[in-house]
Amino acid sequence: MIASGRIGTDVPRVDGLEKVTGAAQYTADLKFPRLLHVAVVRSPHPHARVLDVRTEKALRMPGVRAVVSGRDFPLHTGIYLKDQTVFATDRVRFVGDPVAAVAAETPEAALEAAALVAVDYEPLPPIFDVEEGIADGAPLVHPDLGSYEVVPWIRPKSGTNVCNHLKIRKGDYASALAGSWRVFENVFRVPQVQHVPMEPHVSVARVDLAGKVEVHTSAQSPFTVRHLLAACFGLSHGDVRVHVPYVGGGFGGKAGINLEPIAVALAMRCRGRWVRFMVDRHEEFYATVVRQGLTATLVTGVDRSGKVQAQKMHYLWNCGAYGGYGVNIVRSAGYTCGGAYEFPNVEGDSIGVYTNRPVGSAYRGFGMQEIHWALEQQMDKVALEIGMDPVEFRLLNALGAGKATVTGQVLDEHAGRVDLCIRSVADEIGMDPGRQKTPYRGKGIACAVKAPAMPNDAASSVVMKFAEDATLEILIAGIDYGQGLMTVVAQFAAEALDIPVEMVRVRGCPDTDLSPYDWQTVASRQTWATGNAVLRGAEEIRRKLCDTAGEALGVPASELILRGGAVVHEATGRSLPLARLVMGYQFPDGHAIGGPVASATSYLPEGLLFLDPETSQSAKPVAKWTFGAQAVEISVDPETGQVTVERIAACYDVGRVVNPGLIRGQTYGGIVQGLGTGMMEELLVDTKTGRAMNASLMDYKIPSTEDVPAEMVVDFVETPQKDGPMGARGIGEHTMIPTPAAIANALYDACGIRISEMPITAEKVWRALKEKERAASEAGVAPAVPASVTA
Amino acid sequence: MPSDLDFLSPTSVDEAIALKAVPGTAWLLGGTDLLPQMRAGRKAPGRLVDLKRIPGLHEIREVADGGLSIGAAVPLADVEVHPDVLDRFPLLAECAKTVGAWPLRQRATLAGNLCNASPAADTAVALLALEAEVEVASTVGRRTIPIREFFLGPGLSALEPGELVTAVVLPGASAGFRGSYLRLSRRKGMDLATVGVLVGKSNGTLPARWRVALAAVAPTPLRLRAVEELLEAKGAAAASEAAEAARLACRPITDLRGSAEYRREMVGVLVRRGALSLG
Repeated sequence: MIASGRIGTDVPRVDGLEKVTGAAQYTADLKFPRLLHVAVVRSPHPHARVLDVRTEKALRMPGVRAVVSGRDFPLHTGIYLKDQTVFATDRVRFVGDPVAAVAAETPEAALEAAALVAVDYEPLPPIFDVEEGIADGAPLVHPDLGSYEVVPWIRPKSGTNVCNHLKIRKGDYASALAGSWRVFENVFRVPQVQHVPMEPHVSVARVDLAGKVEVHTSAQSPFTVRHLLAACFGLSHGDVRVHVPYVGGGFGGKAGINLEPIAVALAMRCRGRWVRFMVDRHEEFYATVVRQGLTATLVTGVDRSGKVQAQKMHYLWNCGAYGGYGVNIVRSAGYTCGGAYEFPNVEGDSIGVYTNRPVGSAYRGFGMQEIHWALEQQMDKVALEIGMDPVEFRLLNALGAGKATVTGQVLDEHAGRVDLCIRSVADEIGMDPGRQKTPYRGKGIACAVKAPAMPNDAASSVVMKFAEDATLEILIAGIDYGQGLMTVVAQFAAEALDIPVEMVRVRGCPDTDLSPYDWQTVASRQTWATGNAVLRGAEEIRRKLCDTAGEALGVPASELILRGGAVVHEATGRSLPLARLVMGYQFPDGHAIGGPVASATSYLPEGLLFLDPETSQSAKPVAKWTFGAQAVEISVDPETGQVTVERIAACYDVGRVVNPGLIRGQTYGGIVQGLGTGMMEELLVDTKTGRAMNASLMDYKIPSTEDVPAEMVVDFVETPQKDGPMGARGIGEHTMIPTPAAIANALYDACGIRISEMPITAEKVWRALKEKERAASEAGVAPAVPASVTA
Repeated sequence: MPSDLDFLSPTSVDEAIALKAVPGTAWLLGGTDLLPQMRAGRKAPGRLVDLKRIPGLHEIREVADGGLSIGAAVPLADVEVHPDVLDRFPLLAECAKTVGAWPLRQRATLAGNLCNASPAADTAVALLALEAEVEVASTVGRRTIPIREFFLGPGLSALEPGELVTAVVLPGASAGFRGSYLRLSRRKGMDLATVGVLVGKSNGTLPARWRVALAAVAPTPLRLRAVEELLEAKGAAAASEAAEAARLACRPITDLRGSAEYRREMVGVLVRRGALSLG
């Protein structure tokens, strides 16, 4: 029996005091004796053969302790596709590709020595666009693609630049298209963007004299870092130890493995010394990882009732130079290609293409914001073209209980209600079709859906143990980098055991030597997966406490309950406080029973099935779906093109709100990040040189507080997730998925223009308005609203 | 950025000038432009002479003609809230408060913003409009540079090597201009201007005097005297005509923040809006 009161309430962050006082330690705060500093020699070419790397001069420089390059460490790494070496060996594939690295006594000596490493390159023709990349005869970014090690559910195409291709074939697309009343085809684009975490990537490594590797790193996934380091360097997992202190933002950019191999490679050449590799903001932008670009071509065939009958989705992903992680975004976007809609006949292709751009990887949303940018504008366009209200058109085509996804998975009544989310935000923003229109003010809506994209056996585990005073300690290896995991874990445990949250301490800075396994903190999976493991652990703890208490009180354990920090026998009113039980119970005569109470429990999603290799049909390809919608009201300055988001409403079916304050914060943050990518962010690469042109906070802008919409209204639907802890499902990434598309749709509503390529900048809006005015005057039609309105 | 910089903190202008004689020496005020440039490797001074310990450079004081003298080391945050600035030279406060963020303006100075000579310098347009004078000192003595002669190109000013800006003087004759600094940027705060337009009008004088100055649309900040004359002759009714004249007078380039074409058009839009708001 689960008590209530700690779920669905605003429990303050358990890590809040540490963070606001500065007591919380981040990787760069850690002090190490005789620390060595790193500088990396990076490729100035987007694509070139590496003919020779000469490190002798650098090695002779005073203060230099090690210089390593590709010939020292030719091993491949990558979480799903092993397509990357620690340092380029025979070939560099983007401007910034590491070629060699130096460890030295001071940062200055490291930089100076790096400048002395001589590299001979033979430039090769680069490719920057996906269209070039898939063209016949395109230069190959990875000529050895066919020889790379890869997990069985990722399908690179040897002899091409395609690092993964997922095909969806559902129903009979061709016939359905031929039978459609009207057909619409549109192309949408999304550029590469960067995560811009407040804390740039940093990793500190040491190889001790006995050969054990120890790493402190700003990462989302300590165990995956350990796993990939062991594989990359041919070590036993038992000889690699990874610590993750507090992390200052990740957004996917610290998933998988990043700087760690370079720090470890250098540490191997200066045994016993700590080596710290810390990138600066400039390197963070172009040389760590970015979000993949997307070119999406959509074809929609509708019948006279407005039901979509045929839907083609062709997604070309710009993966950049390496796709070790990005290949799974391609897969995820494939099996989610239809978004929140039921499409009976589908031809879907999600294709990852290597180019000579910065490396694509995970980014909050994992491909979903990108495909929703295309899909949600397409749905809007189709609705308006056939004269239907965009809200009604969405509701007519929305997924729901009894309806099948693009993989043929039929959703049940526990799957979540996108229809309720659509109605909630449409009501909040006032999207009724008969509404009064004001020139240059518009309203737009977009839906969102995402499932956790992870291997079918991705697991989480927790260890729970008591201190003498009955303080409950919970060891986790999920990372709380702001989303509130530690607090939620404390809430679940406190609720299940009916103890005050203050009696719980979540040990949230994992150490792989001591912490229980967790696959990765990604995929919006932690509240759900770690939460489930916590509830199982609490049950085990409860059973042990009741067993001991039953023996102590001389009553059957089955008649005991946990209440208010004690084990209680309701029938007799007798009870024992937990502090008298957690280390074992001692009878008046001195003999003791029980013993320190602890548990180790895990959660692994059940019943997930692989996709069919040709059609991707699968009855249960993913653990769960989280649906939602956002609607916005914007105003447009027609003379400057500036768009202001006046109000935004968001609603998600999260199964169960565990902590209202945290989930609202998560949603506000997602909206603002969505607004950033939607309206101002783009990592620009000079196609002559391959260099990132705006790799600084001066030239690459993310929203400031002044850009935050004046009003954000957040609502939740709670359709319990069958296998969710107390019904909860994931939400972290979903909050930023629909924002750009909703703004784009509002822009059309406001002034009849569409921006098909993110971001929606003022200048693009201004150009589109001018173009519309020109087209109207050529056609001899006066624009519907005056193009020049005095502000 | 080298870590073995020499750092000196003189307490008088003469001492500071003498220290600058050593090659490779740079003045340091707030450092908000210099330090990023050093980090990026664009400037590599061997020693820094910090001017913030010189007592006389911290003052905002009234001068004989009723104007204000703003010491070189006065941070922008002090300028934008100073009662005399707000009362008599509000255009400068309007512009100053758009530079970076409040914490940054605790460091950044008016003189530093000038000496950096960025075409996008927000305070420069106010100083051009208010006909400020730049007081400089060097081993050969002191002189005053009228602001209209100060900016020569991106990063280039009329300062001779070794010359130190000691104060920026706003003449009493420029007191009382009101108006607004209209500015477009990629986000709403803490960004460089894509286009900045200052339109000001004298308060209470007949006929009214007008001021129009532009940022980020030419190799230097621009003051458009011809546009001002047009407005002085015809008033705000000529806003569209003034806008067109300003649009033609600017010389923008295309860069990461915006295209030349967009900037030129926006100059027109903002000049018209600025003039109409003072009509």
